[in-house]
Amino acid sequence: MKRVKVLLFATLRDYVGAPSVEVELPPQATIHDLEEHLIAAYPRLGIVRNSMMAAVNREFAADEQIIPDGAEVAFFPPVSGG
Amino acid sequence: MPVSSAKLPTVFAITESELDLNALLAQITLPSSGAAALFTGMVRGVTERGEAHHTLYLEYEAYRPMAEAKMKQVAEEIRQRWPSVQGIAIVQRIGRLYPCTPTVLIACTAAHRDTGVFDAARYGIDRLKEIVPVWKKEVGPNGETWVEGDYIPKPGE
Repeated sequence: MKRVKVLLFATLRDYVGAPSVEVELPPQATIHDLEEHLIAAYPRLGIVRNSMMAAVNREFAADEQIIPDGAEVAFFPPVSGG
Repeated sequence: MPVSSAKLPTVFAITESELDLNALLAQITLPSSGAAALFTGMVRGVTERGEAHHTLYLEYEAYRPMAEAKMKQVAEEIRQRWPSVQGIAIVQRIGRLYPCTPTVLIACTAAHRDTGVFDAARYGIDRLKEIVPVWKKEVGPNGETWVEGDYIPKPGE
């Protein structure tokens, strides 16, 4: 198992109730696996399941990407700056 | 605010401080600059387009290190598309911001105005709204809602 720290922003942080969480995952876990894990642990995230975006080491990440050891992972909704 | 590149100034930052448009413009003006296109957005207190409503304030937040990396990327994309652009400033203010307050600045300088400098600044703000991880919560008389964008970047974009 590996420990992954996940950063959360905007609506996702509100739904989880914390700006970051630590999760234990199997070594080959992907972004998709992590997303499912989070939705199971925090069911309100299911509301935004279809618009959740992920970043690994500050780059937009695909669902199938395997999370590297020690990676900085973040989940957030589509951006709305400006 | 950090200025990179010895020859052509590029300024990019997430800040909690008031945007000083004149100071930012001065930072990206070279002796050979003769034109600048400067876009700024501000908090709109009264919205008439679409569903009319009033806004008390906006609360901005950023995923700061990624936001600054993506701003740098936007500046690089501008330079690839408009090689005549000289200086670039991309600055997003975060925190609680009230109507009439500037929230963002995109400015480009060039030797002359007919070199694409208007398009470059336009591209900068459009791109910021696509890939720079910043979010805003709108607070009005009837409560608060997170504003959500509609662009889904590709992996690695």
